[in-house]
Amino acid sequence: MLIHRRNIIKGMGASALAVSTPWPVVAQQETPRRGGTLNVAVIHDNTKTLDPRLSIQLDERQVLFLLYNTLLTVQPDFSLKPDLAKEWSVENDGKRYVFTLQDGVKFQDGTPFDAAAVKWNIEQRLDEKVKSSQRPQLLPVIASVEVVAPLVVAFNLNYAYPSLLADLADRAGMMVSPAGSEKYGADFGRNPVGTGPFVLKQWIQGTNITLTRNPNYWRQGEPYLDEVVFRTVPNAVLGLQRIGIGEIDVVAPLGPSEIRQIDPRTTRAIKFPVGRWYALQWQVDKPPFNNAKLRMAIAHAIDRNRINQILFDGEGTIADGLSPPSGLWYANPYKPTFQYSPEKARALLKESGWNMDEPITLWAPSEAVYNKTSQLVGEQLTAAGLKVTLSPIVQSEFYARVVQKVVNFTPTSWGQRADPDSLYYFLLHSKGTGNTTGYSNPQTDRLLEQARSITNREERAKIYGEVQDLFMQDLPYIPLVLGADYVAVSTKLRNWVPSPDSYARFQGAWKTA
Amino acid sequence: MIRFILSRLAFFVPNVLIMTFLLFAVLSGWLGSPASMMLGLDASPQAIHDLNRLYGFDDPIIQQYGRWLWAALHGDFGRSFATQQGVTSMIADALQITVELSLWAITLAALAAIGLNSLGGRRLTNFISTFSVVCITIPNFMLGATLIFVFAIYLRWLPTSAWVPWSDGIVDHLLHLVLPIITLSAFYFGSFSMIYRAEYRSVMNQLFVRVAKAKGISDTRVSLQHVLPNSVLPVITFIGISLGQLMGGAVVTEVVFSLPGIGRLFVAGIRGNDYPVILAVGMIVLTGMMITNLLADIVLARINPQVRLS
Amino acid sequence: MRSRSWQRYLGWTLVCAIVLIAIFAPWLAPFDPNMSSSKVLAPPSAANWIGTDHLGRDAFSRLLWGARVSLVIGLAATVVGMGIGIPVGMFAGYVRGKIDLAIVQVIDIFISLPAIIMALIITAVIGVSLPNLIIVLGLLKWPIIARIVRGQVLVLREQAFVEAAQAVGCTTTRILSRHIAPNIVRVVAAQFAIVTSTSIFTAASLSFLGLGLPPPAADWGGMVQSGFDFMFLNPWLSLAPGAAVTLTVMSFYMIGQTVD
Repeated sequence: MLIHRRNIIKGMGASALAVSTPWPVVAQQETPRRGGTLNVAVIHDNTKTLDPRLSIQLDERQVLFLLYNTLLTVQPDFSLKPDLAKEWSVENDGKRYVFTLQDGVKFQDGTPFDAAAVKWNIEQRLDEKVKSSQRPQLLPVIASVEVVAPLVVAFNLNYAYPSLLADLADRAGMMVSPAGSEKYGADFGRNPVGTGPFVLKQWIQGTNITLTRNPNYWRQGEPYLDEVVFRTVPNAVLGLQRIGIGEIDVVAPLGPSEIRQIDPRTTRAIKFPVGRWYALQWQVDKPPFNNAKLRMAIAHAIDRNRINQILFDGEGTIADGLSPPSGLWYANPYKPTFQYSPEKARALLKESGWNMDEPITLWAPSEAVYNKTSQLVGEQLTAAGLKVTLSPIVQSEFYARVVQKVVNFTPTSWGQRADPDSLYYFLLHSKGTGNTTGYSNPQTDRLLEQARSITNREERAKIYGEVQDLFMQDLPYIPLVLGADYVAVSTKLRNWVPSPDSYARFQGAWKTA
Repeated sequence: MIRFILSRLAFFVPNVLIMTFLLFAVLSGWLGSPASMMLGLDASPQAIHDLNRLYGFDDPIIQQYGRWLWAALHGDFGRSFATQQGVTSMIADALQITVELSLWAITLAALAAIGLNSLGGRRLTNFISTFSVVCITIPNFMLGATLIFVFAIYLRWLPTSAWVPWSDGIVDHLLHLVLPIITLSAFYFGSFSMIYRAEYRSVMNQLFVRVAKAKGISDTRVSLQHVLPNSVLPVITFIGISLGQLMGGAVVTEVVFSLPGIGRLFVAGIRGNDYPVILAVGMIVLTGMMITNLLADIVLARINPQVRLS
Repeated sequence: MRSRSWQRYLGWTLVCAIVLIAIFAPWLAPFDPNMSSSKVLAPPSAANWIGTDHLGRDAFSRLLWGARVSLVIGLAATVVGMGIGIPVGMFAGYVRGKIDLAIVQVIDIFISLPAIIMALIITAVIGVSLPNLIIVLGLLKWPIIARIVRGQVLVLREQAFVEAAQAVGCTTTRILSRHIAPNIVRVVAAQFAIVTSTSIFTAASLSFLGLGLPPPAADWGGMVQSGFDFMFLNPWLSLAPGAAVTLTVMSFYMIGQTVD
């Protein structure tokens, strides 16, 4: 099988891909080898803090998952498994969750982990002085956290909130050492203390973050690796070259054109099971984009097949909704409301009353996929007769400016979440904490709140389908493509697969010699 | 001599204060405030107003300058808006790298220019004068790209880029610096060569040199012992003047090779509208250059008495 | 030097070639430089001489159109610089005394500041656009021009014909325009070429650093930057525009050195 692939690559030059399935090709009989260093490439390092209470940037997540444990952990198929919480039960119609914690867990500074620490951690998330990035999401949900026993903690909620478990598998569930926080104060972000398999050894901003093995890790026998180093590389291609010489083991995210360059003797390309959702967003609560016909008109002017072809070699999926059309438990079939049609676009533009001489600013963030999307969309809108100016913005400032509402019309992207509420409510509810479009549809709000209060999976999935249909009529975003993203890994890497939410969790990984 | 130095120093401090204030005013005062610089020109007035209050941008410029200067003199340049890291430590880390790169580059350029032009035969020196034109006109990014392609990608002799600290191995550290040093020093090799050649030729024609040759002393010895010491002066002066320009070259070179020096820090600060970083690096570069100009003036005066009297 | 003549020929030939390319780019270019296509990152071929970039655009067409951007910025910046520098230089050189001293101080300070740093700072404040870039570069160059013009004027001032004109009672303006100006033409012409050369150099460096014209402008420095990622696939995406910048800068410089 491998030889066949290699010949194809030699024969056809750049077009074949040494792609593997998402699941490890090597059977599980290999025993993990201890030791070694895992080098992960980071492109455009945006890491600002290693304090999970304050963390916003995606880049920080993969480091955080090694420094800290969460109460629960997410599997590659989005199911949940215990981590710091051994078992849990849901009571009172979903308004009370009781967690039994692992015994004998210590923070990296030697202080014990217990129910009191969990209570403290959650209260930190809710404390207005801390200004946690998770506060807007959790404050309305959590009424109180009580210590039932030294290793048993209960969450009392104001209303049923099914995505609590998924949230506790992410930043909100990362347990920070209270003693450590007290000791370091405002500098905790650079001196993290958790319970995780690795400790921070060195952090040279913009160059590398080095983590070293926690010898007192509570999971016996883990971790296998001695060190994990996150190295900033200026671009993906250099990262690929360095896999070839053994300096780097993981590079992501990569597009199909970049994958063409890999050397199959040293590198494997793994496709993400679910692509990132790419879309255009705009502020629909004020001019110019509060004009629904204008939004529809612009949607008709965009050639999404072409974008898919140029950005993802045609391997992405055209998105006509917020989720993929299949593959996840809450996926719903698409009901498209627009196609590429420059004539229809022009007709709708006339109907919308838009003044064609007025310039439209489309922002062009510096990251490769966003930037290319902007340029292509700009080209297509210009072809439809609109006056478009592209406004560059550095990627590290991008999301902050979107939140500040300085950036209006721009490409954007989101990864799928373990619980659909985390994306749907987050983006589309009028009070959603990620709602930067100003979208407000009372029917959508009602449906989203309803979906929160029931636990039956099929019923919830149906409701999200209805939300998606409304979404496609209102177009607070123009969905473009579910990307074909790849991660290139060294052939020496074992026991790691990319997750559909695109967060890398390297805890159990190991390397052959 | 002392009087000369003192008179220069007397003007130096006020000059520095005025220039740094101007820079501060330009960065802070233009277009309303750093708030609009940070948020972009289309920001809502409310957002700008709030940011102004938060950072004290509403106060009079002199007051802001004073505040900044006072903190700076105590070693506190504030915190980067982008990374929340202390700017002082960011600069300290980056400065070491730029200084090391620059020292290597200038030394290499000077030694190569002076050495090759003194010892080389006619053909070599003619080639160098043509080559110098290329050296001073080729942009750093093009030279860097070419070197990377030839030596790192095609021949695979050297790594493409990135910074490896001393602590990770001297050989590795130096290997990663070879291409950046060559890139940065090219311009100076060209200019040093041109300046040195011109001076060299005029010294060669002087009487004492012809006498030495007539006495039968070998060409090499004449070159090294008699001509070189007398023609080096303009090169040294040029080094003094060009230390400021070196920063400009370093900026592009560091970006090409991904070296985390001051140049790259500055560019990142500008692209991200990171006001404290832009301010701190700008001021430090400005002050540094005024200091080197002053020192160059003094050295020049020491060597050339005519300057002192003017 | 005997070698001067080959520099002069080469310089003029190249400059003429580049100017012609810039003017006739729309006819010379085989494709629309801003037209994307699905032939992403194609290697050089008969259709695409240098290959295509990451958006499938023909790199050769972009190369040709890039000449327009570079020349416009370079020449316009020089004009701005001359517009300020020549009058200031002439005035300082002729008037001498305290005013001259003050002007010289200002000039000296501005000359010693590194061009790229200043350009970066100013673009940070006023933002990037074509007119802004031209103004910034012009503001950086005028001190150099002023200083050289001033030096020339200082020498000319002592010449006999100026004394004669003063004796006859010509006004300052008349002396400047009728007698001195014609004699500084040669110096100004040489400076024009050299300043254009350095302006193009600085502008290309700025766009390499990401502070050039916004997309989709075909601008040599920016092309080198975006081609960097693909050095393994097709080095010409970076090397061709880089070579173009080098040749343009070099040829203007050679002209400037050999104007005699």
